[in-house]
Amino acid sequence: MEISRREFAERLALVAAAPWFLEDLKPAQQQQAQEPSALAKALTEAVRLRYPDRFTVDDLTAITRSIDGRLRAIERLYQTTLTNADEPDFVYSVYRGAD
Amino acid sequence: MDFAFLSVVELGRLLRAKKTTAAELAAYFLDRLERIGPRYNAVVTVTRDRALAEAAQADREIHQGIGRGPLHGVPYGVKDLIATKDYPTTWGAEPYRQQKLDADATVVERLGAAGAVLVAKLAMVELAGGMGYNQPNASFTGPGKTPWNPGYWSGGSSSGPSAAVAAGLVPFAIGSETSGSILTPAAYCGVTGLRPTYGLVSRHGAMALAWTMDKLGPLARSAEDCAIVLQAIVGRDPKDPSSVARGFHMPAPQATQRFRIGVPKGADKDIQAEVAANFRAALKVLGDRVDIVEDVELPDLPYGAVAGLIIAAEGASAFDDLLKDGRLSQLTAPEDRTGGYPALAVSAPDYLRALRVRRPMQRALDDFLKKFDALAVPTRTTVATPLDKSFRDGWPGVTGGANVIGPTNVVGVPGVSVPNGFGVQGLPTGLSFTARAFDEAKLVTLARLYQSRSDWHTRRPPID
Repeated sequence: MEISRREFAERLALVAAAPWFLEDLKPAQQQQAQEPSALAKALTEAVRLRYPDRFTVDDLTAITRSIDGRLRAIERLYQTTLTNADEPDFVYSVYRGAD
Repeated sequence: MDFAFLSVVELGRLLRAKKTTAAELAAYFLDRLERIGPRYNAVVTVTRDRALAEAAQADREIHQGIGRGPLHGVPYGVKDLIATKDYPTTWGAEPYRQQKLDADATVVERLGAAGAVLVAKLAMVELAGGMGYNQPNASFTGPGKTPWNPGYWSGGSSSGPSAAVAAGLVPFAIGSETSGSILTPAAYCGVTGLRPTYGLVSRHGAMALAWTMDKLGPLARSAEDCAIVLQAIVGRDPKDPSSVARGFHMPAPQATQRFRIGVPKGADKDIQAEVAANFRAALKVLGDRVDIVEDVELPDLPYGAVAGLIIAAEGASAFDDLLKDGRLSQLTAPEDRTGGYPALAVSAPDYLRALRVRRPMQRALDDFLKKFDALAVPTRTTVATPLDKSFRDGWPGVTGGANVIGPTNVVGVPGVSVPNGFGVQGLPTGLSFTARAFDEAKLVTLARLYQSRSDWHTRRPPID
């Protein structure tokens, strides 16, 4: 089954969200993933700088891939039209304790 | 007497008829948990002392004519992310192996008030899978194994609750689902799992992975049993601000209405052949009571992106102590040891964008779901993954199916999975129904109808 680039990005995002979706992805399709973007690499570097002694090269490669997948998925979030009045789906409640 | 595979309804009947006692049932299931549980890596802690005390109290009350309802004296287990005083609550993860919390979760309090007897804390995928595990071996208790074929995974992250119910170690259990963690193991273990609407069951005292997506729900032998348990645990809880005051009432057993069922496009295409065949056979069983609408399409919205951002950001915040002090390195699955760090690159505006997009997403999906009584899909596109394979490599070549678990978890609507046959390697398959928010009664009615016309839910794995 062929999938579109957009659908692939969506599935990649689901992988990041919940790994049991991995079985929906063929290895060949996973290999279609692009070279990580410069932004993904830069964000990975920011993570590395936060914890400079913690990661191996393989760890950083995995982190870069994950960040890159999420960045591509995020593009879709901005294709959904929202207005200034569209609030997040939580409601802050003010608190007043007992007098 | 062989109590192992009796339903909650049947056990309750025996208790009320005084043909057994809560103490006898507790001792019986405690023995099975200790003797059989390790075969499936299903159990973290057997709560023997508490179980015997609760059972003794239930027997005293029953003897005095005090009735607490259908769960009175019935044993159960909880996924080990649900807090219980006096016993460890490990979250399936090595860093929390010795963790003791000082109060019972609301769901445990409510089951206690219904007279149920806690016999075990059950195994789970570490941190409910929130760090990105990619293989069955992702818990300090080892990989969960399905009792139908222990060379294969139980599913996750409610691995212990599903395997324990399937193996007759408990009559029912409480699991949790952020995105698939009740329905998936229910399918892989051949039991019935009910994921309630977000907010219907209090999360207080349960480990948080994603505050805006976590749900607690029952796994049991039948939809009727799940409904009995759900009835006992629903309701507003001041300790959980997301909980709602809507109740749940057991639907009439002899409902006669017809159901309009949507089958998403591609639901049974390019999936394992046995899974597809069992799905079609199940719809045929429902035959005269359903109108099937084929090839329906969910609104085209970025469910995956929203789910990915929310779980990543909320999970990284919920476990920021593990990220900060590096104890993620103690987790079992290698990919979990780094899986939380990419979330540090999620920006606050992007997370908030996801929360803003979710609101029109909720409306769009509700408008879609209201055209049907339920959507039907195969719960998973394959049977359980082999224990020694990553999820990616478990069943290569299976690329199809319709993704319903992801979108419906993002917006928090309910779902139920019932066993509907067997596939390769003697492994069970599942049929799922999903409906609008707070339509659990409709799901239970539909699942009961199916189970009244099939016997897959009564099959026993080869254990003893």
